[in-house]
Amino acid sequence: MSAAGDVRSPLVTAVLREGLASALAQRVASVVCLVIVAGMCATVVLTSGRTVAAEAAVLATIDSAGTRTITVRADTGSGLDSTVLDRLAGVRGIAWLAAFGPALDTTNTAVVDGRRVPLRRAWGQDLHELTTPARSPVPGAAWASPAALAALGMPEAAGSVTPRTGGAALPVVGTLRVDQRLAALEPLLVHPVPDGTVGEVAVLVVITRAPDDVAPVAALVRTVLDVPDPATVSVTTSENLADLRAVVSGQLGSSGRGLVLLVLAASGVLVAAILHGLVMLRRRDYGRRRALGATRGLIVALVLTQTALPAAVGAALGCAGAALALAVLGDPVPAAGYLLALAVLATALAVLAAVVPAVTASRRDPLTELRVP
Amino acid sequence: MTAPLRVRDLTFAFAGQPALFDGWSADVAAGEVVAVTGPSGRGKSTLLYLLGLMLRPSAGRVELDGVDCAALPDAARARLRATRFGFVFQDAALDPGRTVLDNVTEAALYRGEPLAEARPRAHALLERFGVALRASARPTQISGGQAQRIALCRALLHDPPVLLADEPTGNLDPASSATVVDALRERAAAGAAVVVVTHDPALVRRCDREVRL
Repeated sequence: MSAAGDVRSPLVTAVLREGLASALAQRVASVVCLVIVAGMCATVVLTSGRTVAAEAAVLATIDSAGTRTITVRADTGSGLDSTVLDRLAGVRGIAWLAAFGPALDTTNTAVVDGRRVPLRRAWGQDLHELTTPARSPVPGAAWASPAALAALGMPEAAGSVTPRTGGAALPVVGTLRVDQRLAALEPLLVHPVPDGTVGEVAVLVVITRAPDDVAPVAALVRTVLDVPDPATVSVTTSENLADLRAVVSGQLGSSGRGLVLLVLAASGVLVAAILHGLVMLRRRDYGRRRALGATRGLIVALVLTQTALPAAVGAALGCAGAALALAVLGDPVPAAGYLLALAVLATALAVLAAVVPAVTASRRDPLTELRVP
Repeated sequence: MTAPLRVRDLTFAFAGQPALFDGWSADVAAGEVVAVTGPSGRGKSTLLYLLGLMLRPSAGRVELDGVDCAALPDAARARLRATRFGFVFQDAALDPGRTVLDNVTEAALYRGEPLAEARPRAHALLERFGVALRASARPTQISGGQAQRIALCRALLHDPPVLLADEPTGNLDPASSATVVDALRERAAAGAAVVVVTHDPALVRRCDREVRL
């Protein structure tokens, strides 16, 4: 006898093995179960899943327009300085924060009468997210966006810039990734300022954690600007865009969820009816098992296992196949989390649908079932 | 001889039908082979199902080693069927989708016995009954006689103290019948109580006692 044979198999493992063997042995019933669950999942993905993916795509488009951005612009001499960052530090709802000083014209040191590019002093703990290589900004050095490098006539981030008003040249040591939040400042050439150095701020950029945070955070920002004349600063928010996002999300989300529930409910009823028929087809099998000593609980466990295994395979195939079809057709594909949740839900629904026939099968007397021709 | 199987005042009727048994009593001793005979429709197979704890009597007692099993909960009766009884059904009742070996070891799961322990004994029984070469075949690929011998292997796998057989030689040729009857007698000789429902006079002659219904 093998070593494995000396190990007493736990009941759960034995039931799973028997359920798998039975599912493989009763191929027609298993294939029918697999196909109907795959069809259910494919139907959901191709209808409501497509809607959910379209909703995600629309929201992503709106988000790319900067639904979470608050921009404060201050006139020269307004009195807004970099200490505003200290006052905003730790505010819940703020995901990213940076301040930029007034523009100082610079040119490429190596190019006589080169094109002028504005250099801005920059403050912020999160600036390193934008720099390449990603590291904490080095005082006395500058980072340039691709647009700024092009304007300066630098093929790559190597060289230096010199202020038009005179002063020491600043080496350009890296590139700056400029996304939606800083697009308005292009061409962007920044000179990070060491912590503790206070200076005049011309532009303050605040990114909130969620579109819904824009309004309350903007109100808070206004209260901490601490400028003598509020008319010298302007606060621009994406509040309207955030409102639009909320409306779109609410309407599409509600529609998508309703469609998911409708398709799942309709498919679930169909699955339950078919599974009931499948279990009834196997009643002689369950009658024999009962006669040979299987308890009712074991019969229920076997029926559910025999259902769950092909249902899980069917759910995986249905979701994957439908997602592939959407991708091939160029339609939006639902997120992986959505597909996984749907597969789990469909399998659970199939198992749930099999509970009643499983209990019914377990309660029929063996004599009757064994006499079924 | 002790009587592991005792029936007292057994009463049973299918719903809406006249009583098949009304106060029926009998004992089956250890080491005894009892033939149950009678015309069709008199309840021979039903009696076997009652003795095998697959049906509950309307009244009366079915005792196994002195314990009234009629009153036990369903799970306990199922456990007794798996561990204390061996069944040979009229049409073998094999699972057509599984191999012969899987069929013989099927009830190991119900007894909580690891397959690795049951399989060597199953192979030995299949060898003994001349069907070892069919171990990996499906029941649809074997003859009726082979199916009945395989059903007997399944019933004998755990050396049950009570063996119940419903027409075990009904579809068999004389040689196969003799093999089956020898196995039943051998099981009785090992101390089991054996009850056989049959119409076969040859089989009745080889039993210790006949009970006519």
